[in-house]
Amino acid sequence: MSRTPDAQAASGATPGLAAEESVDLAVGITEVPERTARSSGLRAVLRRNRLVTCAGAVTLLLLVLAVVGGPLAASITGHPPNRQYNNALNPEGVPIGAFERTYNAAGTAHDPNGQLFVLGADLLGRDQLVRALYGLRTSFTIAVGGAILAILGGIALGVTAGYFGGFTDAVISRAIEATLAFPTLLLGVGLALALGPGMLNVILVISIFGWYYPARIVRSVTIGVRNLQYIEAATSVGASVPRILFRHILPRLYSPMLIAGTSVVAANVLFEAGLSYLGLGVPPPTATWGQMLSDAVGSGYYQIDLWLAIVPGACLVIVVLTLNLLGDGLRDALDHRDSYL
Amino acid sequence: MKQYVAKRIGAGIIQVILVSTIAWVLFFLIADLTGASPAARVAGKNASPAVIQQVSERLGTNRPYIVQYLNYMWNLLHGDFGYSYYQHRSVISILLPALETTASLVLVAVILWLLISIPFGLLAGLHAGGISDYGIRVLVVLGISVPVFLLAPMLNYLFAYQPAVGQFLFFTLPEPVTIFPVDGYVSITTDPFEWLRHLILPAMSIACITAALYVRYIRALTMENLGQDYVRTALAKGVRRRRLIATHMSKNMAPIVVTLIGLDVGVALGGVLFVENVFALPGLGYVTYQAISNLDYAVASGAITFAAIVAVTMNTLIDIAQGALDPRTRT
Repeated sequence: MSRTPDAQAASGATPGLAAEESVDLAVGITEVPERTARSSGLRAVLRRNRLVTCAGAVTLLLLVLAVVGGPLAASITGHPPNRQYNNALNPEGVPIGAFERTYNAAGTAHDPNGQLFVLGADLLGRDQLVRALYGLRTSFTIAVGGAILAILGGIALGVTAGYFGGFTDAVISRAIEATLAFPTLLLGVGLALALGPGMLNVILVISIFGWYYPARIVRSVTIGVRNLQYIEAATSVGASVPRILFRHILPRLYSPMLIAGTSVVAANVLFEAGLSYLGLGVPPPTATWGQMLSDAVGSGYYQIDLWLAIVPGACLVIVVLTLNLLGDGLRDALDHRDSYL
Repeated sequence: MKQYVAKRIGAGIIQVILVSTIAWVLFFLIADLTGASPAARVAGKNASPAVIQQVSERLGTNRPYIVQYLNYMWNLLHGDFGYSYYQHRSVISILLPALETTASLVLVAVILWLLISIPFGLLAGLHAGGISDYGIRVLVVLGISVPVFLLAPMLNYLFAYQPAVGQFLFFTLPEPVTIFPVDGYVSITTDPFEWLRHLILPAMSIACITAALYVRYIRALTMENLGQDYVRTALAKGVRRRRLIATHMSKNMAPIVVTLIGLDVGVALGGVLFVENVFALPGLGYVTYQAISNLDYAVASGAITFAAIVAVTMNTLIDIAQGALDPRTRT
């Protein structure tokens, strides 16, 4: 799960090393290219690449749904996310399925005037549609929060390692290698176990085990840029180190970080779902997809009513698939290696 | 070679020490600093103050951190991963019997993911840009987007539970059949065939997702190798395509794939955490999951430490094996 971004880094070339190598090789080329990825413009990218357009549109829709979807669905259906409807369970405790109405008072048949549950009810008789939409909000809050922290950390460490080189670089590079060699998912579960459940804790866990992937990319981009003539020129006219870093190097990281960010958010959505599946995520009654899945699977009820597993499962797949496709498309559109230089 | 092995073992030992230190920081230092008493956690939720006091003395949590740390490492060195006051057994006596199941599961998973990813990766790499490449790319993106804790119950439902009640997808079977068992584990020493049959579905859940990553690696490796001089030379002297892949390219690609497997044993151990519970396989993942649900902190932290050490050790062993096979990697 946590390896997703690495695989994407490898998709275009040899695993691991390629980006670094090609940048290092290209260091000798000192002329500044006429066009960078940024100057080719967002509109041109969208025209060229249908995949980015579609995946981007779906991502925007998902973001809007994450903000307004839950409350909207709750007000339309009239089912608050944590309200338990006893008449949505039959006497054996099996919840109603998709597009079914609640049972009558005796629990023998569906009441034609009962409440309609569009995606069925969960084991406690709560509306699955409303909870799935609230779950989207939880998922995005944590995944995006974790990604922002991880990328900020990655940029700080990667730029430091890449720009200053020498001993600093050696220490940071060893740390990146060590993190790669360690079973991050296991240690992530361990840290979540130590910190206990809670939204901030989950964001912290996710970002602590997510920084090394952006850091690796930032480092190789910085090394590629560091020795270019325009940096030399800036140094020779007396630009300070912070000015070079912020004015001349950070803008170069825009498109690599956009691509990495998309992959990191996708990996984070899965990581968060995994933690809440284990009961180490945001504590109940807050709706999370991992929790919904583990309730369905752990109780064995998904074998009787597959909707219990399908709803959170499909939500997860749709979100992660969209983000992965967006990341792939952005890579195709923006990452023509020379855009680093 | 001797020098390489010594160097790699040295690096492995450092990694094991590092990972144990991280585990100690996670389970004792952070717990202590955030105000939760590790002793109270290890003792369990219903422990009396007297028991907590006793646990605290055994763990030495009232002593300075450095003493605690050295004590912890000393215990690990002697195979002491703590004591579960919930199950009244030492943690290692809970973990060791679970090891066989997990080792079997990971072994079958590795074999399955290579069986899936090598043909697909080669196909995509040899016909890069073609229709098969495109189709495989779609499957890969789908594969990395499905979480293991969704795939495992779905495979269980479709290929074990449904046929057993006389259904398959939208069809009703004339009578219930057992294609794969719904859950459970049979030891390889009891019945090798049943052993495999019980492990196929859980191993498949792990393998499908990892295979998606490996298809990408192998595709990229194939494309890179195709552009190299030795391939051109071989083709020029009339080596057939099949022989080129089987003897020339496989020798160049295998070491890289083996290294990746060494790294991904840790990823597979993470997947085990979810899969074993769905299929009720009594392995490390099952033990850990149950411990987390029962708030059995001693077993959960012990099992995670143990699994992390196993993953790092496997990584070292595979590197050494590879050094023996391929002199170029001895750096």
